[in-house]
Amino acid sequence: MISGGLDSTLALALVKQQGFEVKAVNFYTGFCITETQRRKGGRQDGTFPQNEALRAAADLEVDIEYVDISDSGYLDLIVNPRYGYGSNANPCVDCRVFMMRKAREIMEREGAAFVFTGEVVGQRPKSQRRDTMRLIERESGLRGRLVRPLSAKLLEPSIPEQEGLLDRSRLLDINGRSRQRQIRLARELGIAEWPQPAGGCCYLTDESFSRKFFDVLDAQEAAGEPRRIRKEDIVLLSTGRHFRLSGSAKLVVGRTEVENVILESYGEGRARLMARDLNGPVGLVEGSPSWEDRQLAAGIVARYGKGRPQPRVAIEWLEDGVVEVLDVAPEPDETRIESLRI
Amino acid sequence: MTEATLPTPDRTLDTSGSLCPYPIVETARAMKDLLPGAVLCVVATDPGIATDMPMWCRATRNDHLGTFREGGSWKSWIRKRGRP
Repeated sequence: MISGGLDSTLALALVKQQGFEVKAVNFYTGFCITETQRRKGGRQDGTFPQNEALRAAADLEVDIEYVDISDSGYLDLIVNPRYGYGSNANPCVDCRVFMMRKAREIMEREGAAFVFTGEVVGQRPKSQRRDTMRLIERESGLRGRLVRPLSAKLLEPSIPEQEGLLDRSRLLDINGRSRQRQIRLARELGIAEWPQPAGGCCYLTDESFSRKFFDVLDAQEAAGEPRRIRKEDIVLLSTGRHFRLSGSAKLVVGRTEVENVILESYGEGRARLMARDLNGPVGLVEGSPSWEDRQLAAGIVARYGKGRPQPRVAIEWLEDGVVEVLDVAPEPDETRIESLRI
Repeated sequence: MTEATLPTPDRTLDTSGSLCPYPIVETARAMKDLLPGAVLCVVATDPGIATDMPMWCRATRNDHLGTFREGGSWKSWIRKRGRP
């Protein structure tokens, strides 16, 4: 399993060095920050991030398969994780178990001897503790067939090690959060490139994203609906500024031209707001907004557009194919805006 | 290789509208059905294909013949590894 980060790249190199034919597998969850940046045309500094898993597989000349797991089974898991969340919306243990089960299916399909990852004992507080690593191995049905080459000497020998297929003496005993040994090893193995900074690229570990994630679930629960995340929610949660107008309505306002295009494409089932005669952002309102919510949403959309200095701005409210024009004052109260921000 | 000298593709795969990594996922799927040596032309609107396709070809040892931009879309030519 490869993310393209330093650890999984090193694990790949170590196993390949022992003469194995390796297939790299990269799981697409929909929550990858880098993929989202790519979809939005690159980073804020103007650079365009590359697909690190592809880059690593290409550098090491290893066949790679993408596995899309961003469907309902995975989305149900992140809403109801059996092993709970980390410090944000990250159900890392459940997520790893889910991926390892998929990896096991691929191992069986390919007739492979084992699955390996770049996990390091003690590197992550939740999913890379010795006890949780054992749990993930057991729950995924990979007992004895899941190898962590960077920390293998600190763990029970796997079946391929016991059978002599994999030379345990050439595996490592890296432990903890320091990456000095990995960086040294990368130099020794001639690995010149890996993403910086390290630490993963999952939105679920991001504090700001997590606030929005739990806001969606909490609003559903308050409305008596089941807590669930849909595929389109993932895109919306990583796009724009989010404001909780009331218990029953939320506003998303685009920050860039690309985000405005994305929001426009998600208008179905929502109200779309835009200034009529002036440049400005696209806003989307979800839920059942009251009259006050509508006025407030229009005022916020007006405040983020070119009409901000004007006393009144005409905002078009498009819903179910019907356009209504709201004549509003751009919301002047920054403290109020901030208090609504999710 | 310039666009003018590229071979006529055995198959064209239009991934327009799908976002990364799906153009690569669909490419991998399409390549399975092609014979060795066959040429696939992939059309994409996601700019990521310009960097992804050469890397994917390098990883999977298929020949990347070229990727060219045409306005808002990109076309990648790939030859499946192996002899025809």
